[in-house]
Amino acid sequence: MSKAILVKGGRVIDPASGHDAVADVLIVGGKFAGIGKFSERDVHKQFSDVIDVETLDASNQVVAPGLVDMRAHMGEPGHDSEESIAHGAEVAVRGGFTTVACLPDTEPALDNVAAALFVKRQSEKAGFAEVHPICALTVNREGRELTEIGQLIEAGAVAFGDEQRASDEPAGILRGMRYAAMFDRAVIEYAQDPRLASGAMNSGYEATLAGLPGMPAVAEELAIARACMFARETGCHYHAPLLSTRNAVRAVKRAQKLNVPVTSGVCAHQLAFTDEVVRRAYDTRFKVYPPFRSEDDIAWLKRGLKENIITCISSGHRPVPPQEKELEFGRAPFGAVGLETTLAAAITYLVDTGDLGLSAALAKLTINPARVLRLHDRKGAIAEGLDGDLCVFDPKHEWEVTESALASHSKNSPFIGMKLTGRAKFTVTRGRIFELAHSNVT
Amino acid sequence: MPDTGVWTRKDLLGLEELSREEIEHILDTANGFKEISTRSIKKAPALRGKVVLNLFFEPSTRTKASFSLAAQRLSADLVDIVKESSSTVKGETLVDTGRNLEAMGVDIVIIRHQQAGAPALLARSLDACVVNAGDGTHEHPTQGLLDIFTMREKFGDLAGKKIALVGDITHSRVARSNIWGLRKLGAEVGLIGPKTLIPGAFKDLGVNIHHNLDEVLDHYDVFNILRIQMERQHKGLFPSVREYHHLYGIDAGRLARMKPDVVIMHPGPINRGIEISQEVADGENSVILRQVRNGLAVRMAVLVLVQSAKESHGG
Repeated sequence: MSKAILVKGGRVIDPASGHDAVADVLIVGGKFAGIGKFSERDVHKQFSDVIDVETLDASNQVVAPGLVDMRAHMGEPGHDSEESIAHGAEVAVRGGFTTVACLPDTEPALDNVAAALFVKRQSEKAGFAEVHPICALTVNREGRELTEIGQLIEAGAVAFGDEQRASDEPAGILRGMRYAAMFDRAVIEYAQDPRLASGAMNSGYEATLAGLPGMPAVAEELAIARACMFARETGCHYHAPLLSTRNAVRAVKRAQKLNVPVTSGVCAHQLAFTDEVVRRAYDTRFKVYPPFRSEDDIAWLKRGLKENIITCISSGHRPVPPQEKELEFGRAPFGAVGLETTLAAAITYLVDTGDLGLSAALAKLTINPARVLRLHDRKGAIAEGLDGDLCVFDPKHEWEVTESALASHSKNSPFIGMKLTGRAKFTVTRGRIFELAHSNVT
Repeated sequence: MPDTGVWTRKDLLGLEELSREEIEHILDTANGFKEISTRSIKKAPALRGKVVLNLFFEPSTRTKASFSLAAQRLSADLVDIVKESSSTVKGETLVDTGRNLEAMGVDIVIIRHQQAGAPALLARSLDACVVNAGDGTHEHPTQGLLDIFTMREKFGDLAGKKIALVGDITHSRVARSNIWGLRKLGAEVGLIGPKTLIPGAFKDLGVNIHHNLDEVLDHYDVFNILRIQMERQHKGLFPSVREYHHLYGIDAGRLARMKPDVVIMHPGPINRGIEISQEVADGENSVILRQVRNGLAVRMAVLVLVQSAKESHGG
């Protein structure tokens, strides 16, 4: 005996199959059972064990696979005041995400089997978006001893990376990639040479006038080019998750041309702001890592997205409580929340601007990240047998980002006070429906 | 309270955001206050009953003394707070400190801080006036204003006048305030120093950049010489004091090749014999002590204007 969900009359976009037409989507027992035209009676006829059919009206909405985020800092364990896994997973659902990969820079780091299992258990208990751990490549992310990659994969690790620390230890990351290449998992290493990039904002005119120490673009290019070389040497899949500069895009493009296994991503807010916003008031909501760059860099990020050099768009969700952000710019921590604004930012700054079609943009939020995380046999597409995860959204819905509109405990969003277009209306995750009509998760 | 005219700001955070009219208004107001210093009783009642707070997170002798005297000459009550502040020590945040002091009835906060943007953060969080007395390598607006005031005394209109800033521009808040102010008043600005101490981004502000001092000695009407900090040598930004002095030190030989009526300035404190020689610092072309005197008048003007603006424009 099982339950069915019938999502009727929406524009069904499944980037993986190229489907883009008005249709119904049927989910039975938490799994996709078909795209087409269905009535409730059809469902009962076809699936004799279905006892209850819940119908959702999706007319004038886009029905997409549940979004997949590959970069969220969940705060737990160690920084529960920022965000717990359970609450982060709920925030994700509000933003249309049904799958989230969380990052290993917790305290202690996600560098052991117990920690990976802890993430999975918290996620299952909460029952919102599925949270999967990206585990550390080396113990305590120190770039020396390798973590137990083989066992961590069995415990649910979807990828590996040391999150900003390992760049200090090139030997560690090279060894890590050589070892990880035995397994079918990507190494995701955010790359900026820390010895060059110790500043607070993008290097250049704005930093010079602001009197703030800069992070030069070359620090990113250097580290990404190096990681691409390591991928070439080891055969390990390297994913550069947060490109922000022209020459980093070009470094990835060069590697891809040589058939080095390299993929890349961008954080949605990176497309919306330049470093010019920082100097307006030294507002620490604009202090992010990598920093906001120039118009020219944004143009190159868009070019990279169009040419599929960049295949993933992520939230980069990093909650920081207000008392920690209300500091002098140079002293405040980096980071912005993003799970609730990523879809809208992608629509507002890529689709509505004519840079990408809606289906191409959605690919970068669904099937592509699912592939990098090796979850594509369950996630990221609407196809029979895959998990019945959906993001149903109105691509025309204009809304203002306010503190009260965000469910995240931390309100450190650079979009506060701005209008964005596109917002999830329903999220379905493995047979559970969340109606998001402007208020609380039900 | 005098008429604040074009001035409507409760804070002075930098010269970048000011218009030419606002800068001139401060300088004109300062001119009026200069006269007070020549009286036998050097007091005016403009800030009687107001509380001015010096909130200094960085050591300072002359700027703090200058602001203190300015406040006292305007009959304000003065509170001095000198705080050690370090990024490694977790203590009360700047905003909390500010709110606490405001709760005690402070009207004007004069802040010096190592972090660029700290005055902006404070100004946003408080109803009290905030005056930037130097924030990191961002701006030092009253120093910029007193430098410009001193140049105006010498030349009148600064339009078309050629002003050089010599030394470590990268780490100089004084240089930034000078550049903004001088450009708005129509002066030609040149930056002179080693490539490691002048970021290329400055050229987008419409200034000249020179790395060879000797080639431009007779081009400029004013040389405003910045203090060179020894710690920069240790960071590898220039090789040695001796080489710096050899390439960029202003001495009698170089002075002789400048225009005869060239004006030599220095915001202090001076490293005699390094960026400027003894005889040039104390020579006829030097207006270094006049700068200090003018600083007092400029700061009195700033304190009165911000307080008046807060009162007449409700903040």
